[in-house]
Amino acid sequence: MHYSYYPGCSLEATAIAYHKSLEAVADALGMELEEIPDWNCCGATVASGVVGDFTQQVMSSRNLAVAEAKGNDVLVACSSCYLTLAVTNKRFKEDEHFRKMANEALAAGGLKYNGTLKVRQVLEVMANDIGLDKIKARVTKPLTGLKVAGYVGCQTVRAIPWDFDDPEHPVFLDRLIEALGATPVYFPMKAKCCGSSHALAQPEIVLSSCRDILSSATEGGAQIAVTPCPMCQMNMDVYQSKVNKDLGTSFSLPILFFSQLMGVAFGLPPVSLGLKHSVVSPYQVLAPFGAGQ
Amino acid sequence: MTGCSASSNPLRYKEGFSKEVYQLENGSYVKVCMQCGVCVVSCATRQRMDYTPRKLFMMIRAGKKEEVMRSNTMWMCTSCYTCKARCPRGIPIVDVMHDLKSMAIKQGYVSYPQAAFYQAFWQEVMARGKVFEGGVAARFFLKRGLGEIKNAFGMKDMGLTMLKHGRMPLLPPKTIKGMKDLRKIVEKAQELEHKEVR
Repeated sequence: MHYSYYPGCSLEATAIAYHKSLEAVADALGMELEEIPDWNCCGATVASGVVGDFTQQVMSSRNLAVAEAKGNDVLVACSSCYLTLAVTNKRFKEDEHFRKMANEALAAGGLKYNGTLKVRQVLEVMANDIGLDKIKARVTKPLTGLKVAGYVGCQTVRAIPWDFDDPEHPVFLDRLIEALGATPVYFPMKAKCCGSSHALAQPEIVLSSCRDILSSATEGGAQIAVTPCPMCQMNMDVYQSKVNKDLGTSFSLPILFFSQLMGVAFGLPPVSLGLKHSVVSPYQVLAPFGAGQ
Repeated sequence: MTGCSASSNPLRYKEGFSKEVYQLENGSYVKVCMQCGVCVVSCATRQRMDYTPRKLFMMIRAGKKEEVMRSNTMWMCTSCYTCKARCPRGIPIVDVMHDLKSMAIKQGYVSYPQAAFYQAFWQEVMARGKVFEGGVAARFFLKRGLGEIKNAFGMKDMGLTMLKHGRMPLLPPKTIKGMKDLRKIVEKAQELEHKEVR
């Protein structure tokens, strides 16, 4: 299975662990990821707040225009990039006037996009292309007894509601956790917002949101949480000590990318999974499964 | 309660502002709102907002430009998309919020820190085609000036923690090869969008 891979800016910096672990896991599952050459920022959920939807969508469609020659599905890991690229792609396919205008703008850079590609979130690809049976068969170190909170976040399932999983009560991540031999915990806040990019401008929004989500996960008995979103991972992991300090809590919940947990269950070398990038150390919880420090 | 206080004075709707908003990319959806309030109960940050999204929409229709543009409502939006997923009228509320942010920035209503963050992010994209998180933070604090310095110190620890864990590169990524073309594409898109509005 060949994919055009769009990592996005976070995966080269704050979410480097997602990049590393996803490549390792994809390799183990026989997926070929080819990075889109010279890709540019999608604009996330920020650019349209400065220059409007149309300009942002045109900007992000440059990536699709570049990838179109190959014809492979575009695989997106970051939830915000997925949101932007998937919605842009949908407009190219469904709105002829938009497509014409957008192509007029793309032509200024010598590009054209016909809207022939599929943009896919990596969790959805795991569900529909790889399938739980194949994932289960690849597990060499079943995570028996490990209680995991599957934190889906917002944009992965609400980019295009009902396109993939339930937009408010998603189930696939829990099924994936089960396939790895672990136990998904009851976690009512699994699709609630972490406060997103407010971390810089108004950190108290992120802190209180993360406190509520961390409470929900730990009340369910989680020893660790996994997510498909760079923003969620960063806020819940990097800001966890600040939540504890400012809001008087005492959380110590490691937050991994779901691909890192897959890698552990697949018995891949821990160093290839970027576990060292976690601020809240996952080593103690993962030691029984061969991924201690 | 600026939005709907009772008074014996005649109500004067100022259509100019409503029309201005309806011209925005997703602005005409404001007309479709039936004031049910599902967006309000869905909103992650409603308690921090000056006006709920429902109320803001009504105020737009009533032409209350200064109240709307100076409110923090759109800046509190986290883009979690719950309101968009739930709205029974299919209004992309979060996209309307993005339009209002863009309009606020263009017209100089930029007192909230989020406005500085948005501008910093966009400058970063246009500088090299990719976003360098350290660069966004630097631009943000420069824009906000001394007033934000306490906040900057609070954030410094987060930055150092990420540095220590190898997830905060000191240097920005290389500028994309197609940067010149990307700028041309963005300029053309802006030009087309302005033409479309007219």
